[in-house]
Formats: sequence, C-alpha cells, structure tokens
Amino acid sequence: MADVAGVPVSADEAARIVNSIGPAFEGFAPIAGTLPFDLEPASFVQIAANSAKNTGRNTGKNIGKAAT
Amino acid sequence: MSAEPALMSLTAVAQAIAQKRLSSREATQSCLDRIAQWQPRLNAFMAIDADEALEAADAADAALAKGGHRGALHGVPLAHKDMYYEAGKVVTCGSRIRRDFVATTTSTALRRLKDAGTIRLGTLQLAEFAYGPTGHNAHYGPVHNPWGLDRITGGSSSGSGAAVAARLTFAALGSDTGGSIRMPAHFCGVTGLKTTVGRISRAGAMPLSQSLDTVGPLARTAADCALLLGLMAGADPEDPTAATGPLPDYIAAAQQPLKGLTIGLPAAFYVDDLDPEVARILEETVAVLRREGADIIGVELPDQRQLTAACQLVLAVEATAFHKRWMIERPQDYGPQVLMRLQNGLAIPAVSYLEAMRWRGPALAAHLAAVAGVDAVIAPVAPVAAPTIAESDVGNGPDAESVIQRLTRFTRPINYLGLPSLAIPAGFTAGGLPVGMQLIGRPFDEAMLLRIGAAFQRAADFHDRVPEFG
Repeated sequence: MADVAGVPVSADEAARIVNSIGPAFEGFAPIAGTLPFDLEPASFVQIAANSAKNTGRNTGKNIGKAAT
Repeated sequence: MSAEPALMSLTAVAQAIAQKRLSSREATQSCLDRIAQWQPRLNAFMAIDADEALEAADAADAALAKGGHRGALHGVPLAHKDMYYEAGKVVTCGSRIRRDFVATTTSTALRRLKDAGTIRLGTLQLAEFAYGPTGHNAHYGPVHNPWGLDRITGGSSSGSGAAVAARLTFAALGSDTGGSIRMPAHFCGVTGLKTTVGRISRAGAMPLSQSLDTVGPLARTAADCALLLGLMAGADPEDPTAATGPLPDYIAAAQQPLKGLTIGLPAAFYVDDLDPEVARILEETVAVLRREGADIIGVELPDQRQLTAACQLVLAVEATAFHKRWMIERPQDYGPQVLMRLQNGLAIPAVSYLEAMRWRGPALAAHLAAVAGVDAVIAPVAPVAAPTIAESDVGNGPDAESVIQRLTRFTRPINYLGLPSLAIPAGFTAGGLPVGMQLIGRPFDEAMLLRIGAAFQRAADFHDRVPEFG
C-alpha cells in the first residue's frame, strides 16, 4: 500500500507498521463491517448539535446571559 | 497583590493592569525574569521576544494612561504553542521542515486574543507537528517538567504545560487532537481545556487531523480558561466548521456552585490499571466534589477500547494525508518517531477510515445515552504521573506505539467523540509530581466543566502550587 501511495517503505518499516497499527484494527474489529447501509457519515455533526440544543440537565448554556 | 507579578492568575493580572495597580511593563518584565531563570532548564520556549514584548508593554501602558483600554486582556503578556500562525512571524510547528516558515496570515484564535489586548512574549515548544504525547522533540530537544527536570511534560503542547506551570506566561494556547492539552496539564499541574470540535475556530492553526483537531487554553485556573474561551469562541467566516450558535457567559458559569449537580464516575476502563497514587487522588477528588455538594454516581460507558481504536484510524490517515507531499519530498527532515507514525497511516485502507468516520455518530449517541443522568463524567487524564524522559524516549523503536497508546489511553476516546474535557490539577504523588483529573462533558457544554472545575479549585489549592527553582 505504501508503494501504491508513492511513499515506499523498507521491509523492516513495513513490519513495524503492521505491529503499530495492528491493535487499532483489532480494537475496531467488532465495528468493522457491521454498520447499517443508510448510516449517514454526517450524523456525528447532527447529534452533537442536537445535544447542544436539547440537553435536559443543568447545562452551562443555561447559565448566565447569552453573549452571542 | 503578589510581590512577583508573574505569580498572579490571568484574571488577577488583567484586572490589576486595567485598574492601574500594576503596569503592563511590570507584568511583562516579571515574566521575562522568570523565563531567563527557567528557560535553560526547561527548554519551554521556541523563541523569546523580550524587546518586542517590553516595547508593546510600554505602548499598552501609554494607551491606558490616555484612557485607551483595548480589551479584557489589555497589556497581558502571553506565549503560545508555536503552531498558531501570526502574519510576518516564523512558525516552526516544532519541525525542521518549517524552521523558517513565515506565516502570511494570523490565526483567528490568536487574533481574537490580540484584539483583547494581549502582548506576545514569544513562542512555545511542542512535539514535531504536534504529533507526540510525551514532550520529546527530535529537532529542538525535550521540554523538561518544572516539577522534576528528568520528567516529561506530556505533549504535544509541551512548552505550554511547562511554561504555565513555572509561571513564565499567564496562560498559553495549546491544541488537542489525541490529548495534547490534557496530557501536559496533567503532567505539569495546570488547568487545560480541550474544547468541543468546532467550539473555537481552527483557521490559521497548523492542522494535524481535520476531524479531531481542537484549539484550547492551558492556564492556572478554570476561571482563567473561562476568560480565554469567551474571548476565542464563536463563529468565524474563515472556518466553516466553527459552530455558529450563541455562547454562554463562561465567566458567570465558573462562579456557580456545585450543589445540585450530578457527576458520573466510570465503572470500568478509566479506573482500571491505575497507578495506586492516581487511584488515591481520584478517590480524594471525588470526595471533595461530594463534600462541595455534587452527587457522584457510577456510570457504565460503552466500550472505550473501540473508541480508542477508531480514533487511531482517523488520526493516522488524516495526519498522513496532510504530510504526504513532505513524506515524498523531504522524509529525511522528519524526526524518526513522527515519520514512523506518518508511515503508519499509509497502511490503513480507505474503507477502514471511512467506517471509523461513519461510526462516530452512533458512538456519540451511545455515549450520550450512557451519561443521560449526569452533568459530567470524571476520570483520570492518564493512568500514571509523569514518567522520566529517559524511559519514555522510545524513538521509532518497536515499543514506540505501545508507549504512546498507554499514555493516551484515557484521552483519545474523548477526541473521537469530539467532546469537551477540562483537565484540572487534583493532587500530588508522594514524590511531588502533579496528577490531573479530567471532567468530560456534553458537546458544546464547556460551561458545565468550567463550573465544576472552578468550584473544585475554590475547595482545593493544587492549582496554586508553584514548582520551586531548586
């Protein structure tokens, strides 16, 4: 893949890369390949924004005057 | 007023200058005196602009004498992580590649602080391209922790943590992509605010990962962070990702009591495999919060290891994409560890990256459901106090990534979820090293974290302790 990207690495470096990122793939394995077809990538932004609008507890946005 | 102005908080020194109880020159000279004393030991500054700072201080004093008060930080000297562009100034980004790079624009965060009246003391050290959690830098040397010169500061905002801790600047900008504000805050005993993604404009800040990068302050107190956040936050036409909603009054939030709030304590992950002293300080912090009126309840969070893994996939790919041209043209100009980490990004398939990005929404929704009954969550910033520089200097060796992962274990899940988190000094080990705790909030609810952090700091004095120049 490094060759395809135009940034070739040595065999030692390739082995080191595999060791370095292996845990990330293992950690993400329970999620990989399980996401629903219609999941919109931008849902993260929407959920964060909605949380800011709709938080029901003692949120900071209710403290003090709005400074806009 | 303190006999040594540099020992004052940001809020106090700004008020003292505004009320003409202290001149900007006195405040600036006091910082410069401490910089001259500490810099040879800490290596916290990348550049020191003493003459320019004193000249600007005199101008600020002259303006004030004529009734000209520029803003909330009139005449206050500050230094920032050397990755915020300032037109006409060299911005090294902690790298050899940008050793002579002169910015042509000024970052929005920096400009807003300058508009409030701040003075430039110089620039602060950082990990090369803000890509490292320890404070090592292959080109400019490690930054040393003022609480133990053989100890790391944490990174990547290494100079910011050390300089604020040693009282060389009243506050400093940092940036947090995987823990880079909270780690130095924890290891150096200062207060650091990682903001929600989008809370502060990133225009003119060196990029590392467009999905994870955040701008935020390191300062002595939560109240100081509130002051700085209020000045920097808000919509920015230069950064379409900056949030556009109304802002709360952060300073007022930081004056509210704890009573009536509920704080969640994770039942797992953040309490697993802690150094015994970190575990003790977590218990003591919880006890203080409870005594001050907060309810503490257990919370069951979703699997944080999956969040950590997803964060690594996103960060590695985005960082590599930013750097690919230099990786081809100037690989010899990177430090070994940073080049190694950038090479890691080459081996992650696009589908894996996009899956990690698509999962962000459901992962955030699951987190918010888990914390629905609490106002914030408390957790350690890291499982240990500052390790030695020698033991964490792993370069690009086989253990490098595992050392990095261990240090950032408790910070990366928060970056993946884009949440705000306030790191506060919470205690000291028997060996005299500071330990911080992080308060984790809902998206854009920095005010809640500042409220809790400031209330804690009214009840405990760890943030007031200053390392001795021994």
